[in-house]
Amino acid sequence: MARPEAPAGVEPIISLSGVTRRFNGFTAVRDLSLEVPRGHILGLIGPSGSGKTTTVRMLTGTLRPTAGGIRVMGHDPLHFGRTVRRQIAYMPQLFSLYPDLTARENVGFVAALYGYSWFGRESRIRRALEVVDLWDARDRLARDLSGGMQRRLELACAIVHDPQVLFIDEPTAGIDPMLRVSIWDELREMRDQGRTLLVTTQYVGEAEYCDEVALLAEGELIALDTPEALRQHVYGGDVLEIDTDRAVDPEAIATVGEVMEVRQPAPRRLIVVVPEAGPATPRLMDALRQRGVGVVAIEEYQPSFDEVFTDLVQRRRREREKDANGDGSSPAREGTDAA
Amino acid sequence: MLRDVWHSLVSITSFLGKELREVFRRPGVLLSLIVGPFLIMAIFGIGYTGHRAPFVTEIVVPEGSELPREPEFYADLAPGRLDVVGVTADRAATEERLRANEIDLMVVAPENAAARLREGEQTEIAVAWNQVDPVYDQLAHLAVASMISELNAEIIRRGAAEGISLTESELGPAVENVSPEVLAKPTTAVTQNVAPTPPSVVNFFAPAVLALVLQHLAVTLTALSMVRERLSGQMDLFRVAPVSSSEVLIGKYLAYALLSLAVTVIVGALMVFGLGVPVLAGYLPALGIVLLLTFASLGVGLLISLVADSERNAVQLSMLVLLASVFFSGFVLPVQDFIGPVQYLAYALPVTHGIQTLQEVMLRGAVSSWWMVGTLFGIGAVLYLLTLLRLRRVLGAAR
Repeated sequence: MARPEAPAGVEPIISLSGVTRRFNGFTAVRDLSLEVPRGHILGLIGPSGSGKTTTVRMLTGTLRPTAGGIRVMGHDPLHFGRTVRRQIAYMPQLFSLYPDLTARENVGFVAALYGYSWFGRESRIRRALEVVDLWDARDRLARDLSGGMQRRLELACAIVHDPQVLFIDEPTAGIDPMLRVSIWDELREMRDQGRTLLVTTQYVGEAEYCDEVALLAEGELIALDTPEALRQHVYGGDVLEIDTDRAVDPEAIATVGEVMEVRQPAPRRLIVVVPEAGPATPRLMDALRQRGVGVVAIEEYQPSFDEVFTDLVQRRRREREKDANGDGSSPAREGTDAA
Repeated sequence: MLRDVWHSLVSITSFLGKELREVFRRPGVLLSLIVGPFLIMAIFGIGYTGHRAPFVTEIVVPEGSELPREPEFYADLAPGRLDVVGVTADRAATEERLRANEIDLMVVAPENAAARLREGEQTEIAVAWNQVDPVYDQLAHLAVASMISELNAEIIRRGAAEGISLTESELGPAVENVSPEVLAKPTTAVTQNVAPTPPSVVNFFAPAVLALVLQHLAVTLTALSMVRERLSGQMDLFRVAPVSSSEVLIGKYLAYALLSLAVTVIVGALMVFGLGVPVLAGYLPALGIVLLLTFASLGVGLLISLVADSERNAVQLSMLVLLASVFFSGFVLPVQDFIGPVQYLAYALPVTHGIQTLQEVMLRGAVSSWWMVGTLFGIGAVLYLLTLLRLRRVLGAAR
């Protein structure tokens, strides 16, 4: 999947350019630049304290950047007018609904905040609650809902006014895996309806649900690309995992022209990095057969996003250490070719 | 079994430790818990003089009466209890001032004191006041009794000094048939309270209780409303949503005004129809005062809500407002009995003006302290502006 980009001449829905935010000398976000085209999900992924929420708050206009520029739908978030605000939704990280109101009343309150009167909002409330599968729980008090249902209720509140851009902060935090999948399904459905979503998560594995992923660590953007491209960045190409019928010398295939790297985690297992898995597979099998080694299985290896993230963070740290030691030029950012 | 008990103990001590840590990590809370009530008591102790202001009195001495016309003479009859501001012959004008609450007491000296004594009759001295406060009513009675007693003693003393010859000195020709009672009490007071409603504890305190309940309800309800939203992240929704600070604030004002008014109407109806408390000026003026008091009280609560850093802190501040209101608003003791600076504190409380003006509307039939109505509105307006500015700051704080 190619990295999504705004068509030439079309302004991206969300754009950050060299954005930095400091709090009393502590830099929460450093020189962040990225763009999100219309109808895409950008996943802002990183561990706790990596600057995700700070970024979302700057994007929603509740926090002023120390430096840099932000545009959302072509407007500076610090000067959002009512019209722009009506097209934006924000789902905060913490449960921020009214526990003593029912699910329907909570959604109704938010709908009223967005200007929908009592007469016109009932159908919207119903639609929003149905999207998150909470219509049957509409008359239950928010405090009596489970954690997952509360997050879904917040999502219903966020979409009740039919926003075009959604900033969703940690929608799956503390939610069981089944519900996380269901929430991501809902987010992707919204994307399919043409909405633009910026979603933060600390679950690196959720990167695969996004069209584009921005990896943040210690306030810095360490990677920005499609999930597939990020996987490739880690190894520099496709990775093949080969199981053989006998122990094999890695050098046996290291000489095959397109092989970039060979690792041997076990005597009968090879991890081979090639530019493209498709054409390389038959050639590697031939090379092994010529050396009398039978191939039991060969398949493309999909490194988990946890591995990808860990690898990228470690690379970044090494680059910074090099920088600190003064033996390198400015660090090359992995996959960060955003504006 | 022993293990279960041990687990319970561990659980209990864990909560104990947590709660204590929370308290001690908020020195402001601790300070307001301990120092707040003491501070109020200290202000009360220092501020309350214990000295009742003397009754502002005007003496009416009719033309032709032989009684003295020097204010000092009458002031000396009840030292410390009467502040004689004038001696006049114009009874109608003095009565007008009494009804307008410009003076507290009117003493009308008799025209024919000597003639009545000669006829062996007591001389009646008419005394009138205008009090709906039962305590002040009693004090007025005491002051008058003291004055008459002193007057009688003075007459007897002068007579005795002149060998019971009251004749030449005060009363003209000799009196032969004066009874011992008249000799002992040459004068007697005929008193009248011209207040539109007779002083009664229930009547007097009903408007005060109504005002205090209304203020406390409004302050407590609103003090908690905004602090919850600030602490739970709901403010973030307001920051992003297309709503302005004034919309949020007016929404809050309306919601809690309705709640407060509903409770006030119920309490007021119980007072009027259950206890028979009058509303002499009618329901509309009373409602006007209640609305103004609600407006000002909601401002106090919302301001607390916007400055408190926790729900506990908000409750404490509300309690301090209640405590100050009970002590300084005139609910228990008259505001005038406090020293000047403490009176300013009293007048900064909406309930002080609410009590006074509601009493006027309900028990006197008209507002005479219009400055208090204005001040109540002023407090409400200032608090609205302060809360609006504070809310704008809170909503835009992160910016």
